[in-house]
Amino acid sequence: MAVDDERLMAFLDGELDEVARARVERALAGDPVLRDRLEVQRRLRERLAAWYGPVAGEEVPERFRRMLESRVVDLSSARARRAGPLWRNFAALAATLVLGLLIGRGLAPSSTVMLEDGAMVARGELARALETQLASAPPADAATRIGVTFARADGSLCRTFEAEALAGLACREDGGWRLVASAAGTGGAGGEYRQAGSGGALVLAAAQEMMAGDPLDADGERRARDSGWRNVAARD
Amino acid sequence: MQGFERELLTLLPRLRRFARALARDAADADDLTQVALERALKARDRWQPGTRLDAWTMKIMRNCWIDEVRSRTRRAQTFAPEEAGERVGADGHRDIERRAQMHDVDRAMNALPPEQREAIALVLVDGLAYREAADLLDIPIGTLTSRLTRGRQALAQRLEAA
Repeated sequence: MAVDDERLMAFLDGELDEVARARVERALAGDPVLRDRLEVQRRLRERLAAWYGPVAGEEVPERFRRMLESRVVDLSSARARRAGPLWRNFAALAATLVLGLLIGRGLAPSSTVMLEDGAMVARGELARALETQLASAPPADAATRIGVTFARADGSLCRTFEAEALAGLACREDGGWRLVASAAGTGGAGGEYRQAGSGGALVLAAAQEMMAGDPLDADGERRARDSGWRNVAARD
Repeated sequence: MQGFERELLTLLPRLRRFARALARDAADADDLTQVALERALKARDRWQPGTRLDAWTMKIMRNCWIDEVRSRTRRAQTFAPEEAGERVGADGHRDIERRAQMHDVDRAMNALPPEQREAIALVLVDGLAYREAADLLDIPIGTLTSRLTRGRQALAQRLEAA
C-alpha cells in the first residue's frame, strides 16, 4: 500500500484509527524508504519539541503575572490548579502520540506500555523500574533511568523516567503507573537525538507544571517506595 | 484574583510556548503574549464558563498574531498573503540583522506561510488533536491536515539541509 506523507504524519501524530494504523505499520515493515521518511518526520517533531518545549518550563515573566494578579495573590491554589482537566487533556494527547511513536520506532507492539480503559499504563520492565528503582541508587544495568519523584496536588506520586525508546512521566493511579506525558526517548539508532534535550524537555516541563511542592529527596523517595507509593497528604 | 485570571495564569506557560512558535523570536513572542492577554482580559465577558479557556485564549492569541502579520505585510507592500512569512524580513535593516541571529528552527518556521505555521504551532508544539486545531482555526479538518503536511515537508527539507 502506498502511504503518502499526510497519512504518515497522521500515523506519527497518533491520529489514525486502529485499522489504518495497522496498515501503515505493515507498509513500514516492508519498506525501508518509508521508514526513512517516517524518521525524517519524527526527527522534525523532536526538533520542534526540543526548541519550543522548554518555553513552557520557564518562569513566567513578572509583567504577565502582574497583569493577572490585580486582586488577591494566591499562588498556592493557582499551582494546585495546574494539574486540572486542561492539563490532563493535553497529557492524554501526548500519550496517544507516544503509542504512534513506539510503534513507528519499534515496528512491534510495545510491551512496556499498554492501553487500558483509554489510559496508557506502564507494564513489564518499565512498571518494574517505576515500582522498585530509586533514582538515588540505580541498578548498574538499568534499562530505564528514573528522574525525579514528586507529589501532585492531589497527593498522588509521580515519577519521570527515561528509557531508550521512551521518556515520560507516570503517576500512581489505582495501584499502577499511568503515563500522563511522554516523548521519544534518549536513544535508538544513531543516538543523534541525545543532545536534543533527550526528548525529556517536554516531560520535564510537564513535571514542573504538575509538581506540588518540591521533588522528594533520596530519603523521601525510599520511604515512598517502601510504603507502596501511597498518596502523601495533599499539600499545596 | 478571580477564577478567570487564575486559570489564565495557569495557562501562561502554554500560551507563551504557543506564542514562541508563532512569533519571530522570544521578544516578539512575549509582546504577542502581552497583547493577547490584554485582549483576553478585555473580552472576558464573552468567555462562557465551562468551555475551554485554553482554546478560547489561544484563538485570541492567534488572531492577534494574524493581525500583526497582516499589518507587517502591508507595511512591506506585498499583497500576496501566501508570502507573508517570507516577507517578514523585508521590514528593514534591523530585521535582517535580527534574522541572521535566529535559530535554525525559528528561521525555518518564519519562512512558512502563516496558515502552515499556525497549524504546526497548534498540533506539533501545543499538542492539540487535529479536530481541536481545526475547530480553533475554523477550518475543515482536511484543510488543516494538508497545511500541516505541506508545512512539515518544507520544515524538514530546510532543517535537514541545514
